[in-house]
Amino acid sequence: MSIPARFHDGLTAQVHAVELDYEAGMLVIRAGDGAPLGRWPAADLHALHGRRDELRLGANGQPTGARVVVEGRVNVARVQATLPVLHQKRQQQAGREVRLAVTATLALAAVIGAYLYGVPLLASRIVGLVPPAWEQSLGETVAQQMEASLSESGGLEVCDADPDSLANRALARFGAAALEGTGSPFDLDIKVVRSEVPNAFALPGGQVYFFSGLLEQADTQDEFAGVLAHEVGHVAHRHGMEQLISTAGTGALIGFILGDMTGISVAAGLGATMIDARFSRDAERQADAFAARVAERMDFDPSGLADLINRAGADDEFARALALLSTHPLTEDRKAALEELSRQRPSGLEPPFTDAEWTAIRSMCETAAPLAPRTKRK
Amino acid sequence: MAWEQEQPVPVVFDGTRRELGGMLLRGYALLIPTIGLYRFWLTTWKRRFYWSHTVIDSDPLEYTGSAIQLLLGFLMALAVFVPLYGLFFYLSTQSSEAAIIGYGGVAVLLWFLMGYAIYRARDFRLSRTLWRGIRCDQGGSAWSYAIRRFLWSLLVLVTAGLAYPFMAGSLWRYRYRHSWYGDRQFGFVGSWRQLARPFYACYGLVVAIGAVGLGVAAATGGVSASGVPSAEAVLVLIVAAALTGWVVLYYQSREISRMFSAVRLGDAALSVRVSARSLGGQYALFGLALVGSYVVLAIGGLVVLATVAGAAFAGGGFDPAVFMQSLQSSIVVLLAIILGYLLLLGAFTMMVELFLGLGFWKLVAQGASVIGIDSLASVRARDEDRSLAGEGLADALNVGAY
Repeated sequence: MSIPARFHDGLTAQVHAVELDYEAGMLVIRAGDGAPLGRWPAADLHALHGRRDELRLGANGQPTGARVVVEGRVNVARVQATLPVLHQKRQQQAGREVRLAVTATLALAAVIGAYLYGVPLLASRIVGLVPPAWEQSLGETVAQQMEASLSESGGLEVCDADPDSLANRALARFGAAALEGTGSPFDLDIKVVRSEVPNAFALPGGQVYFFSGLLEQADTQDEFAGVLAHEVGHVAHRHGMEQLISTAGTGALIGFILGDMTGISVAAGLGATMIDARFSRDAERQADAFAARVAERMDFDPSGLADLINRAGADDEFARALALLSTHPLTEDRKAALEELSRQRPSGLEPPFTDAEWTAIRSMCETAAPLAPRTKRK
Repeated sequence: MAWEQEQPVPVVFDGTRRELGGMLLRGYALLIPTIGLYRFWLTTWKRRFYWSHTVIDSDPLEYTGSAIQLLLGFLMALAVFVPLYGLFFYLSTQSSEAAIIGYGGVAVLLWFLMGYAIYRARDFRLSRTLWRGIRCDQGGSAWSYAIRRFLWSLLVLVTAGLAYPFMAGSLWRYRYRHSWYGDRQFGFVGSWRQLARPFYACYGLVVAIGAVGLGVAAATGGVSASGVPSAEAVLVLIVAAALTGWVVLYYQSREISRMFSAVRLGDAALSVRVSARSLGGQYALFGLALVGSYVVLAIGGLVVLATVAGAAFAGGGFDPAVFMQSLQSSIVVLLAIILGYLLLLGAFTMMVELFLGLGFWKLVAQGASVIGIDSLASVRARDEDRSLAGEGLADALNVGAY
């Protein structure tokens, strides 16, 4: 018994009302008057996506647009019962798609894995290729942007603008001594700036900022020298540049996953921060180790830096609460690691600062703000 | 001409929001284990849904594209984007002035590329659209379209929007005059003249509403030096914004109706009527649905937070310090936050799809009818065009609407 259907021959845009028959492994398409319009071997048939209760058939070896369309639940069920090959082909096709999706997903997962472990490694390699002059100008740009963003609250006012003051000479000497023998292409520029925030950081290219808020909390020169040596370590290892490269890499990856290469979206930012936190902890450890090595040439206890950071952070409950997202390793672990590193420190070294110098450094921000314009030291 | 005596054949759309919603939910769920790659399959399913439910003279459209083509296209587009991304990175490290100039240059380049991408994406969709066994296609040059669009948009910018009807007319014409159904070329009889009147009327209205709104707001003390606007001024500005929105919707409905109604295919003619009210209805529905889904999510989120960080809610109050502590200690909470973020994003895109995407397609399809459809029976198939792999750039630039 034949089944009614619609037929498009794929050559002209005509609709033929046809009757379908199944004869000797062939789907026979007949026009209303019985004239055969086509004979499609069952093995060549495949079902295409259609609406509910609609079966659209195409066939290999026929024009690509040629379709037999069966409508109505009963008719569709009859065709499917007659042609089990349709179900098999559909399953084969679905299987192919699933395999492809799984393969692509695994490949992407592998790329992400390689990326997460590779980018930090790669970043430290790439950093070696970045010309120091470029990094230096980048650091200046960052400093400008930072000062511009802080300009409403008075900017970053340098506490002692005179490069030849006792304190500034002591700082410069300390920086140069710390950097000695590392082969770093940068000249350090250590600035103590007036700010309530207890903080210290190093920009790419050798600029180190030490906030008066942190300086005030330093009880001993061990603590101060420790943190300063740590920041010099960031400069020597070019961590700022490394971080920048790896953040850019992570951003590109997240853009790829979200499929939106234009949007520097919130998701990308958040994701990049969380993924890069791991890398930054490694950087912090490297900088700590650098500080410990400096302490083998000068008489200060580098584990003091953990004390100072711990004390400064204690005021900031919110920062502690978000430690999961923090880029700093936990202070207890750091202190233990630093004590381990400083166990074999030779004795009989000179302290980093004389008493007079340390007093001068401590009082740098206590004097009234100098009226002279800030000058850049190079 | 023969078609003048014929009855117009209405286009029927019989897809339901429920079917699309189920498909989207399944698709979003699969996006997570596939790290986002399922989006190519989701797009394909979505198009099959739209195409197969759009029925013209009792024959539905058929979408013949596949997810693999989209995936390949995206990979190719990466070849353009990786260097561009590198350029972005390099620029961000330059001095402020150089960075601003550089970003500007890249933005202009992206704007230009978008025109190219839009045209290519349309080509991809058309060449994978089958009706009555005959494929559609698009000729023309994507570069030429991109240059036109770019230059026109510059002119629109320079003339403060006044040149827009000319741009719209020109681009509509370019798109349709280079479209094919089998061996028959589409035609376009519209021009800026059909757009000029509604556009300039709406333009004038928007300017007037803006001036009056700002004037009244200023008079009621809204733009005072203190920077704190009065309640009346805010109300006036809200009313002005709502009116402006309505005028824009009105113009949109005119442009859609008039431009689609100017599409011809040999002796067949398309006619589309979309009213501003139904268009506005879609946006209103979308707003309601979005608010509704966010309320549901917020309640769900509170329940989840209370479960994973229950201590913070102890004693009926909320203790932020305790809450922060449990945040710190628990990776579960972090996962809950990420999940919550994905849910918010998912709910938003889902509502956009269900109420704006589907609503718009439905409006145009149900408002459309074809006159002289019998003349299409003589259309013959053209040779295959398999040169296009995916929409590449369009995917990466996020311009593919459907």
